Amino acid sequence: MKRNSLIVVIGVLLVIVFAFWLCAFQVRTTEVAVVTTFGKPTRPVNEPGLYFKLPPPIQRVYKFDQRIQSSEFENKFREDLTSDGFTLLTSVYVGWRITEPGVFLQKFPGGIPAVEQQLGTLISTPKSAVIGKHPLSDLVSATTGGSKFGPIEDEILASVESQLHTNDYGINIEFLGFKKIGLPETTTDKVFGRMTEERNKLVSAVQYEGESQAKIIRSDADLRASKILSAAQGVALRIQGEGQTAAAQYLGVFQQNPELASFLFRLTALEDSLKDKSTLIFDQQTEPFTLFKGSLTNSAAN
Amino acid sequence: MNEHSHPHDEHEHPHSPETHVDSGSQALTEALRSSFVIVRFVMVLLVLVFLSSGFFKVEPNERAIILRFGKPLGVGEKALLGPGLHWSFPYPIDEVVKVSVTGIQKVASSVGWYAVTPEQELAGTEPPAGPSLNPAIDGYTITADANIVHVRSTLYFRIEDPVRYTFGFVNASNMVRNALNNAVVYAAANYKVDDILTRDKAGFQEAVRRHATELLDKENIGVAVDQCDVQTTWPRQQKVSDAFVAVLNAQINRDRALQEASSYTNQVLTAAQANSNAIVNLAESDRAQLISDLASRSSNFVSILPWYRTNKDLFVVQQFNQTMGRVLTNVQEKIYVAERADGKPRDLWLQLNREPPKPSTATTNQ
Repeated sequence: MKRNSLIVVIGVLLVIVFAFWLCAFQVRTTEVAVVTTFGKPTRPVNEPGLYFKLPPPIQRVYKFDQRIQSSEFENKFREDLTSDGFTLLTSVYVGWRITEPGVFLQKFPGGIPAVEQQLGTLISTPKSAVIGKHPLSDLVSATTGGSKFGPIEDEILASVESQLHTNDYGINIEFLGFKKIGLPETTTDKVFGRMTEERNKLVSAVQYEGESQAKIIRSDADLRASKILSAAQGVALRIQGEGQTAAAQYLGVFQQNPELASFLFRLTALEDSLKDKSTLIFDQQTEPFTLFKGSLTNSAAN
Repeated sequence: MNEHSHPHDEHEHPHSPETHVDSGSQALTEALRSSFVIVRFVMVLLVLVFLSSGFFKVEPNERAIILRFGKPLGVGEKALLGPGLHWSFPYPIDEVVKVSVTGIQKVASSVGWYAVTPEQELAGTEPPAGPSLNPAIDGYTITADANIVHVRSTLYFRIEDPVRYTFGFVNASNMVRNALNNAVVYAAANYKVDDILTRDKAGFQEAVRRHATELLDKENIGVAVDQCDVQTTWPRQQKVSDAFVAVLNAQINRDRALQEASSYTNQVLTAAQANSNAIVNLAESDRAQLISDLASRSSNFVSILPWYRTNKDLFVVQQFNQTMGRVLTNVQEKIYVAERADGKPRDLWLQLNREPPKPSTATTNQ
């Protein structure tokens, strides 16, 4: 009897555990789930927690990752024409997630790879259409705020979202952005040619700029130097004039006897002019050598 | 505990009525009793093991979140368990998710750079550049003035909102990478080639960082940008890169020419200033000399005037001869030409060559 009661208790426990295993399910915070009744989606579960259902094969549960998935469409680097006729290669990335697990289960039995394929098709058409409405300068532009990445990305996103709404796919695109912008391979060659041309022009422009600027700087320096010198000469002339004016006051003194003054000035001039490296040739007519006259007579007498 | 205390009670109570049964069944009872004890012990042990398996450790650079039946315990910051020892119910009731927080993570952009592997870069054996760029292989960006440049960037970031970062995205670091890619392409499309490569590298780098930060905030990835490194280069195609190098050289030459011109300016102006000072100083000293000269002469004049008036002729002769004496002392060469006996004038031949003075200048006595 004790044995029986023990076995019964263990049996009951096992049944409970088994029933739990069949009927209870957890939805993780990263997941959404849908319960199907005989294969038909009947109850979507969008909140995490512990839930119950009828055991299989009556009800089954399908869980999906509801976190934002990133898809990149690397192989969809497609050529699009801008409104002003440039061929551009663009690729975008999107972040999307599953919002309605029930719809998703029916639309995409292939799971996430199927979604990416579908999204690639869904996006490429609106992308071409939107780029075709804009000139190249809306994407690539040096003026401030000239590049309209944001608005163009939003336009593509809006267009894709409206398609997602009309055919309910059970997913939502959270964001979309350009990942690459390129040019067709043949165009890059031409761009290189043009870039080289531009560089060469720049080289001669820079050379010319250097030479002419250096010339300007030098001639400006010369001009300033000569201005400084002529200013100094002006000052010197003025000083000289002042000197002359100051000298005039002494004229009165010399006026007392101009004859003597003139004699004295001549004496000074004579002394100054014969100061150095001069050769004086004289005979006995020159004062004070007039004294030689007598001696010469004596020698002649010898 | 409940499950196992129940069979225990059942066992204790019916114990006494069976004391008189035969030894065989008594042995059986004993065996059963001891096996019950073992079962009880094992059950207690199992429960203990089950509960103690719920202890877990959180490292200093980690935070942990407990999911009870898949749902986070607590909201926002409160859901995060800090470093230390924690306890949760074991699986399947609770699940512990650990996230790294303080470590700086980094992602590198995957567009904009030519096809090269890190090994090739380290070894310096980058594949030669073809004449054109294949969009499927070679990465590049288009600048605002429609040039092609290569740009790559590394973004360093911290996880600010670990709950959002971990539970919001399948591959959050990939999201960060794509935001960075977009920022690189966008910033290049807004900057001219010269600004990107040389003139405004810092501004370009800042533009990449700013746009990446904006995108990450908009997409709410739960990260904070720490730093953003950007590397740029012109196309590797020979003629293009030669042309870029030529521009750089021309700029260096221009700068040198300007440098030289400005040092010339300094030189010329300094010299001019010095000359002008000299001119003015000379004028000043000339004036001073003139005036002092005149002053001394005039005072001299005043003092000798009475003498002159007294005996004019004697004074003149005295003054003249005094001066001549000084002159003759100073004069380097003195040549005396004696009068010829017949009184006729002599012919003098002068060799006007001062240096070096020849001792035989006296070609005279003939």
